[in-house]
Amino acid sequence: MDTREQHTMSEALDRLWNQFRPEMDERVGLLEAANQALAANKLSIHQRGEANSAAHKLAGVLGTFGLTKGTVLAREAEVMYSGDADPDPNSLSRLNEIAQQLKAIVASRK
Amino acid sequence: MSHRILIIDDEDDIREVAALSLETVAGWEVAVASSGAQGLVRAAEYNPDAILLDVMMPGMDGPSTFRELRKNPLTAGIPVLLLTAKVQSNDQRRFADLGVEAILFKPFDPLTLSSQIAGILGWN
Repeated sequence: MDTREQHTMSEALDRLWNQFRPEMDERVGLLEAANQALAANKLSIHQRGEANSAAHKLAGVLGTFGLTKGTVLAREAEVMYSGDADPDPNSLSRLNEIAQQLKAIVASRK
Repeated sequence: MSHRILIIDDEDDIREVAALSLETVAGWEVAVASSGAQGLVRAAEYNPDAILLDVMMPGMDGPSTFRELRKNPLTAGIPVLLLTAKVQSNDQRRFADLGVEAILFKPFDPLTLSSQIAGILGWN
């Protein structure tokens, strides 16, 4: 693949990123909402599943758009929201940190 | 040489990036399906050279779709590569036991996805 083709590919990826940016924001929003519900001791099974799924999707896609750190963070959140029980309340500060960082990472890509 | 690939994935963003990658980088022909059920129909109609199949999909997931593809004489011989964001080794073993051609991991690099597939399938 020559430089011109790489440039074309990069531009096409930028277009796709902008097209799918609302989905990325929505997934981060689901994580934030689950964190808030966990803090209030009101996390439902459905919401836990949504958070797990949102984190899984972010982990799968962010690195594809060059946001490797986002994949690592999302994978950590996915593990924390997996299983049959709520995440340990002691992990809440880490979950909030992850959501904030993911928000910043998503916002940083143009 | 041009090849025909069917991508089955419920996530629009992954499907679009993979299609863009295979069409732009390798010049392959790509068809897409957004569910396992749709993928079964599309595979029989399109007769692709290979199928890129997502693991986690609502309804019929990747492993179930793969088993159905193998039951149909029209699609039984098409090489299937599973695409997954699951990195745990027990998941990987479970997927490998299905008899798929290979397991590819998300996130993938759009610039090298086609060469990875070509290498696995001996298309180089």
